[in-house]
Amino acid sequence: MSSIVDKIFANTTKLIAFGVLLLVAWIFVVLFEHSVESIKAFGFTFITEDKWAPNVEKFGALPAIYGSVVSTFLAMMLAVPVAIGIAIFLSEIAHAKLKAPVGISIELLAAIPSVIYGMWGLFYFVPIIRDTFGGIGISMLTAGIILSIMILPFMAAVTRDAMNTTPDILKESAYALGGTKWDVIKDIIIPYAKAGIIGSFILALGRAIGETMAVTFVMGNVHKISVDLTEPATSIPVTLANEFAEADSALYYSSLFELSLFLLVISFTIISVAKFYFLRRKRIA
Amino acid sequence: MTHTQKRILINNIVMFLSTLSAVIGIGFLLWILSVLVINGLDALSMIIFTNEGAPPGNDNGGLKHALIGQLMLVSYAALFGVPLGVLAGTYLSEYGLKSKLSETIRDISDIMMSAPSIVIGAFVYAIVVSPMGHFSGWAGSIALTIIMIPIILRTTDDMLQLVPSTLREAAFALGAPKYKVIIQIVYRGAKAGILTGVLLGVARVAGETAPLLFTSFNDNFLNMDMNQPMASLTVTMYNYATSPYEDWQKLGWAAAFILSMFILSLNIFGRLFLLKKKNK
Amino acid sequence: MATIIEINEPKALEVKNFEFTYAKADAPSIKKLSMPIARHNITALIGPSGCGKTTLLRSFNRIHDLYPGNKYDGEIIFKDRNILTPKEDLIKLRIQIGMIFQKPTAFPMSIFDNVAYGMRLQGIKNKTELQGRVEKALQDAAIWKEVKDRLKHDANGLSGGQQQRLCIARAIAVEPEVLLFDEPTSALDPISTGGIEELVVELRDRVSIIIVTHNMQQAARVSDYTGFMYLGELIELGRTEELFVTPRERLTEEYITGKFG
Repeated sequence: MSSIVDKIFANTTKLIAFGVLLLVAWIFVVLFEHSVESIKAFGFTFITEDKWAPNVEKFGALPAIYGSVVSTFLAMMLAVPVAIGIAIFLSEIAHAKLKAPVGISIELLAAIPSVIYGMWGLFYFVPIIRDTFGGIGISMLTAGIILSIMILPFMAAVTRDAMNTTPDILKESAYALGGTKWDVIKDIIIPYAKAGIIGSFILALGRAIGETMAVTFVMGNVHKISVDLTEPATSIPVTLANEFAEADSALYYSSLFELSLFLLVISFTIISVAKFYFLRRKRIA
Repeated sequence: MTHTQKRILINNIVMFLSTLSAVIGIGFLLWILSVLVINGLDALSMIIFTNEGAPPGNDNGGLKHALIGQLMLVSYAALFGVPLGVLAGTYLSEYGLKSKLSETIRDISDIMMSAPSIVIGAFVYAIVVSPMGHFSGWAGSIALTIIMIPIILRTTDDMLQLVPSTLREAAFALGAPKYKVIIQIVYRGAKAGILTGVLLGVARVAGETAPLLFTSFNDNFLNMDMNQPMASLTVTMYNYATSPYEDWQKLGWAAAFILSMFILSLNIFGRLFLLKKKNK
Repeated sequence: MATIIEINEPKALEVKNFEFTYAKADAPSIKKLSMPIARHNITALIGPSGCGKTTLLRSFNRIHDLYPGNKYDGEIIFKDRNILTPKEDLIKLRIQIGMIFQKPTAFPMSIFDNVAYGMRLQGIKNKTELQGRVEKALQDAAIWKEVKDRLKHDANGLSGGQQQRLCIARAIAVEPEVLLFDEPTSALDPISTGGIEELVVELRDRVSIIIVTHNMQQAARVSDYTGFMYLGELIELGRTEELFVTPRERLTEEYITGKFG
């Protein structure tokens, strides 16, 4: 009797675990199936065409791709130096009494939903951008800044964790040769934790590129490529968030599904690179 | 200036810049937090908990519909997601520890935890909303379940692996069948860890907005039928905040405040559970 | 009280009424300790775990200062000054007093860069000078022959014993006056240990050495003076051959005969 229950339990867990893999595969298959119509209609021009005009059933994703790339790039440019600064502060400068509370606050801020960052951006940051740079304040620049603030806690926390993996004895050795804090950071900690630090940046990039709510509030969903960063723009997730519930034709839907698939493939790739190339999980022996 | 003096100078400059960036970064985050608390407390009132949504301008609107909708969406997601995640995690840790299948599932789950959630919304739209012909609470819950499973799975897997194997061996030595060892010994040993995973998983999906936009959609009034479109705090917050009406925007802040406090307390409780476990 | 022999040679360091208290600790880990360290000799510090020998060693280059809240009292005299004052230039101090750790600490860089590291910190950029001094340090550390063809290779590719000798080369390359060894062979196999011990003995002519070890045979083999510490106090300091053969304190005798450990 027990042995039958044992088998049932074992196989149930195995089935569900295997189901997780199937589910992920299914997501790709379903998104692909629903993209077929758009792929047939536009082929490769889907990602090179800069016109997105639902009224004439013409769908080119270039403005959204451009917006995703530029806003993410802006966010990374702004967040990386600050995240490194916070990580250095937390791991090497802060007094023990400050380390824990500041560290935990940063981790908690990473848990605050992105919709809140977006809402804050809309009410408090858009006016600042409008007054400083002109325009309506809803813009690529605003999106990049809000995105950078949103990924900052995550990035700072993982960078700090990566830096903390440097053994104390290695740091002490460099101090024992007369190194300053900065000498130890640049010569020992950063080279030692390099893979982890780069990995955490790439992981943050992977998250930023798929981030929806932090930017939807402040980007404007305008399908136009403009080099002026103070102009409204769009990105792949912003397009999806704004248009999915309103799409009114099969081709329109299919194009949105193709965008989803494109986004999933891109972030899947970026996150895989971060996880498997830089942050290889230590196997439990 | 000697070389060493130069080194000390550079050191001081870098230390200053690091501290400055920490102050700037933390300053921004404090700014967001204080805005949230000030606007949130300002907008809070009993009406929020007793009244449903109302047309703009009549000062009578509440968030009861969104609170209950949110609770239902997340509860159903947890109802499906927790057992599925725990059982799958059990397989990884207890049966297939180092097998290729287990490693692949771990890798894929790790990736899915960082993958864009809006894509999950698109997927659920295709498999649930589209065939049913309308948005529904079920669709929203299913999307949240899919987001939740990898989180629960990975924490369960990690936490079960922390249970010392001598404990399992001792139980086996008494002649217990494996499922009993797992349920009575291993789960018990990893209780705090699994609970933390569940709390963090719930906290994570409770803040999700993107996958709900075109699954559970929204409803300005109370609806408890999971077959119908359903309000959530997050989508309500988005709709109200982007509306031009001041009273709706205010409700948006109240929703933001309630949601953040809920999520922060789940995170804090989760950490406390783990701490308590560690100190034992 | 403690039995501390007179040292009639010049002294490298002089510890006077030294007390050390770790952050958050109620009681000092080292209590009112006084001890001379003879110049160009090897002084071994022995004693059971937790006796304070490593804590004392780490006070000589003030590496404790990396962790806030630790407290020094009393004096450690080095070159006619008390190095425990707040105005002490720690960078200069640590160039003059080098340290070798319990485990090899090869930096994540090439073999050459590891040895050149301390010199570069001092601003030496001249290539030929660096090359000459790196080679000399590696020769003095008896590792030149093994690494001369792969100076550009990552130092972490070396074996544990080689890495420890590399660390010694790195430390002596900046020509310190004192070298602190903190159980330098505790992570090494017996053959590598023998190599390191020989090296320590050879270095005596150019640098004063203090070595912490929990291996009494090692102390007996390499050192000129031995200090036995117990519960944060120096129980006995004597010439090594005398201390091991005719200890004057009962505690020392019990420890070296293995009555406790």
